[in-house]
Amino acid sequence: MSQNKAHQASFRDPSGYVFYDKGKLRRAINPIYFEQYHKLTDSGFFSSLIQKGLLISHKETSASEEQIVITPDPIPFITNPYEWSFEQYKHAALLTLQIQKFALSKGFILKDASAYNVTFHRGRPVFLDTLSFDFYEEDSPWRAYKQFVMHFLGPLVLAKYHGTDMLKMMQTHIDGIPVQLLSSLLPGRTKLNPVLYTNIHLLAKLEGKHKDDYKAETKMAKLSKKAQNNILESLFNYIRKLELKEDTEWGNYYDKTNYDKEAFEAKRALIKKWVKPLSPQRLIDMGGNDGTFARAISKDVPHIIVTDIDAKAVEQNYKQIRENEEMNMLPFVCDVLQPAPGIGFNNTERESLLKRLADYDPEVTMALALIHHITLSGNVPFEKSAEFFASFSNMLIIEFPKRSDSWVESLLVRKREFINHFDFYNEEAFEQGYSKFFSLEKKQAIPGTERLLYLFKKR
Amino acid sequence: MYFLYFDPGLGAMIAQAVIAAAAGVLLFSKNVMYKLKSFFGLIKEEDDSFDSIDIDEQEAEKDEPK
Repeated sequence: MSQNKAHQASFRDPSGYVFYDKGKLRRAINPIYFEQYHKLTDSGFFSSLIQKGLLISHKETSASEEQIVITPDPIPFITNPYEWSFEQYKHAALLTLQIQKFALSKGFILKDASAYNVTFHRGRPVFLDTLSFDFYEEDSPWRAYKQFVMHFLGPLVLAKYHGTDMLKMMQTHIDGIPVQLLSSLLPGRTKLNPVLYTNIHLLAKLEGKHKDDYKAETKMAKLSKKAQNNILESLFNYIRKLELKEDTEWGNYYDKTNYDKEAFEAKRALIKKWVKPLSPQRLIDMGGNDGTFARAISKDVPHIIVTDIDAKAVEQNYKQIRENEEMNMLPFVCDVLQPAPGIGFNNTERESLLKRLADYDPEVTMALALIHHITLSGNVPFEKSAEFFASFSNMLIIEFPKRSDSWVESLLVRKREFINHFDFYNEEAFEQGYSKFFSLEKKQAIPGTERLLYLFKKR
Repeated sequence: MYFLYFDPGLGAMIAQAVIAAAAGVLLFSKNVMYKLKSFFGLIKEEDDSFDSIDIDEQEAEKDEPK
């Protein structure tokens, strides 16, 4: 066994572990889990879930008495729960419940309900952890139930009452949000809601009451299968109907910007013209809003990531992706000024965004209408933002709005008496800052705008 | 015996009996409402993969990943 190559996040479950074999991700299964694995395979359970696209598919690579190795279908980029929009988070929760109910009907259970067992691939959520299943024991409660509340129901309900930013709490709580904390953060009126009262407030109360009970195993509670199905169904119905109250920050961004239709089309055409000859396999559009410009080239690129700081824009993008079944586009929330850090044990259990981006290694990075926010709102010098893009990009298509652009003007006005500190915001300084990390390939004004489009190549 | 590599919470195990009972009442009343509504033709059918908790095994081939 080559434990040393084990994936940094793979140590919690004794059933097996994930490791890299010459760059290929594989999953080793320990003898302790052989019985489950064989039953799950032979009964056709795995293949039904895989056929429905709910579970990532895998092939058995080798099998011996000490170890079985399976190779899952590779996923180009892993997003974490704190990077999902509300709708994505909801769908990940619903998928988990669907799988648990299906498992129960076939004599299995999900032994854990971690949000990290789900990620987005081919335009939809998919369950990653093939070893998360176990045998159902008659009349036993769902032991991953509390984990489901901490990882899924809790964050979603917090987002409903306090806004989508609450989902980012998962970044500081890798094991989910503790139920007592959930209960205290929710408004008092949620105690009148039967689903929230029982699944959060009552749960928190009973958990508090039994937290010092060390003879836990001797007193296993009982719950019929029918009763468990009731819990699953009522959670499903509740979560499916959850909606955010907050209004969009950007909303119809493209309606209120300074584009007229022709300028918009000109920019699209220019991007298309520049991207095509580069024929990238992987492309990332940072600050890509709802994916409008990524869609201009999405037919030519096998895999595209679109990020935005605004969760609502990401959500709109996700909805479009589902509607149009765009399997090659992956949207998620990212604040360029504060990218997701590495979290968990050793800070490596969940990789930082920059590490994942560097591994993803996109041939083309697009940063349209982003540099003025980084530079003027974030006060980041050009050289620093160039260094940031250079850490994961090869070719960089970046849009530079000149000082005369109305967005830039309004950002500068907000600086008031410090406006002179931003005299460096101009074409020459921009080109000079970026020249440290990139060589200039192309430069062109976008007709009908006060903006320039650059194509840089990493040095 | 399960591999208990995380604490399921004893309180959570006990709570499930109460939660399930409450969920049963809710689902029952929802069902009654649903039947009443559909009797009066007030139900709109939506088509979405997250419409129902039940996975339709019949449709399995349709969504097969390419």
